[in-house]
Amino acid sequence: MRDVLTEIWESIRRNKLRTCLTGFAVSWGIFMLIVLLGAGNGLMNAFMRGGEDIATNTMQVGGGRTSKPYDGLKEGRRIWLDERDVQLTGSEVFADHIDQVISSVSTSATVSYGRKHFSGSIEGNFPARQEMDKIEILYGRFLNDKDIKDSRKVVVLPEDRAETLLGNEVRDSGARFPGVAPSVRSGKQVNVQDMLGKYVRIGDFSYRVVGIAKANQESNSNTVYAPYTTIRTIYGKGQEIDDITFTFHGLDSEAENEAFEEQFRATMNVRHRAAPDDRRALWIWNRFTQNLQMNRGRNLLSTALWVIGLLTLLGGIVGVSNIMLITVKERTHEFGIRKAIGASPWGIMKLILAESVTITAFFGYVGMLLGMLACMVLDKTVGQSSVSIMDEQIAMFVNPTVGLDVALEATLVLIIAGSLAGLFPARKASRVRPIEALRAE
Amino acid sequence: MLIELKNVNKTYNNGQPLHVLKGINLGIDKGEFVSIMGASGSGKSTLLNILGILDNYDMGEYYIDGRLIKGLTERQAADYRNHMIGFIFQSFNLIGFKTAVENVELPLFYQGVPRARRHQMAMEYLDRLGLADWAKHYPNEMSGGQKQRVAIARALITDPKIILADEPTGALDSKTSEEVMQLLGQLNREAGVTIIVVTHESGVANCTDKIVHIKDGIIGQIEDNREHRASVFGTSTIMK
Repeated sequence: MRDVLTEIWESIRRNKLRTCLTGFAVSWGIFMLIVLLGAGNGLMNAFMRGGEDIATNTMQVGGGRTSKPYDGLKEGRRIWLDERDVQLTGSEVFADHIDQVISSVSTSATVSYGRKHFSGSIEGNFPARQEMDKIEILYGRFLNDKDIKDSRKVVVLPEDRAETLLGNEVRDSGARFPGVAPSVRSGKQVNVQDMLGKYVRIGDFSYRVVGIAKANQESNSNTVYAPYTTIRTIYGKGQEIDDITFTFHGLDSEAENEAFEEQFRATMNVRHRAAPDDRRALWIWNRFTQNLQMNRGRNLLSTALWVIGLLTLLGGIVGVSNIMLITVKERTHEFGIRKAIGASPWGIMKLILAESVTITAFFGYVGMLLGMLACMVLDKTVGQSSVSIMDEQIAMFVNPTVGLDVALEATLVLIIAGSLAGLFPARKASRVRPIEALRAE
Repeated sequence: MLIELKNVNKTYNNGQPLHVLKGINLGIDKGEFVSIMGASGSGKSTLLNILGILDNYDMGEYYIDGRLIKGLTERQAADYRNHMIGFIFQSFNLIGFKTAVENVELPLFYQGVPRARRHQMAMEYLDRLGLADWAKHYPNEMSGGQKQRVAIARALITDPKIILADEPTGALDSKTSEEVMQLLGQLNREAGVTIIVVTHESGVANCTDKIVHIKDGIIGQIEDNREHRASVFGTSTIMK
């Protein structure tokens, strides 16, 4: 091995300039590949953020507006879900697939604590919501069955809301990034844990804070959670509810999900005197299929980026191949000598292949390191900024870097590419006939 | 017989077929110092290439030490060359970017001898040829005679059955030529190395013990030259 490396070093040393120029093309190819994949990851991460926090086997159903006349009623009629829909959803009709059904009611209200206050939506909910939406409790607890049973006046505050109540009304965009500690975002050190057990005022009543949830704007968990029964009673919602959420099982493909949704929609629509195939009467948000589609989109993007990157790399590979052909031509006489004194064809081939792989791998790694550096720069600059659209802070890039897996794949690509680049020149070298080579002076 | 050629024929088929060797029969014993002499176009280079397993032949049989050399794969041929034959060329054919000692080591590298061992052996051979001080020098820093001695060391290092020298003095002046021929003679006498020299110079041929004349692809006269009186220009010099 050391001998082969020595030979390669001797050969490269004699052609520094042209080796570097050729290597640059390879570096550039890998650099582009890494930067493209990093940027693609950043884009997808921004798009998918929060998505991975949600249990994927849930569907959410809400009321919509009919789009077709049916049963003597005109289109454009508003559909309101109510408690009987919850019962229907949980009944034997759908027992094959639906496991647990919960509903929620919400209202907007002002939450105040001392002189601090904020306005937001208060959601009356069930304990099972925590599991379905993967709500992370930082301190205290989420709602429990006893809260529901006794219609207790308790709330679970999201972290950033709790912070607001403790005296941080001004929040910068940095707060959108969960990785950044609260103390970094706000100048003042506050401990949201202090809010536990305190009473906040919502409307005319006082509610005890029993838990602090992790802030996560993407999954809309910046809402304040209170027991379902409490909110329904106090705000006089009666039978009306906002949405139904349920977990399901046994629907593994997109087609199965589609079929189930059709069946579910038809049953529910008929109950509300809407056309069974009216897709607007109720909206159904299937997180499972949404996830599938997102993953497909992600794979498509990543495949496209790989193709572009590899095509860029191809230019470099052709360059290496070309330079190796020239090397072989120049060294024909030498290979003749080597063969005359006992080098086998493979012995010669090995030399050229190893040189090709070494050049490709070395310059490829330089390109890869630079590419990763560029990704880090991207992360520190574009990755930290966000665009404000309709009062919503949207990050364009989140963590636009590539993982170790990509680095390993790229290494593999380099080795294969180097071998391919060296293959034809190496075959040519190995077929040098010693008598002809010795004649070539 | 160390080397035995039986009715060896060779035709080149480059457009017009050229029958170069027309039935060569030759036997060479172990320890002989033979020269093959002929004018250019006589087929002596082709014969040398066949003897050195650098080229194949069409018809006949060629044995080295009782082993038939025919229809070999490239790998086998390389292996036989490596183990059985040492080459000395007219233009030395040293590798320019390797030092003298690295050049001498090379055949051992292809035998898979470990680095330290082959370096030590190469140094021993260079020392025997009086070049120990030049071990670290590159070929372009050496004189023609020195280069040829490095090449001889490289040919000897695998302890081959035959040394094939193709016009070994062709690129040297007469004084150096004589030294090289004396060195070959000395190796033959003292170490018992079998040496075959291909040349068109009678003075060079005269240094050997047996002269094989080849003409138009056929072996002509085989001269016993143990008295070294074959040269028409006198016995003690190589005429250039």
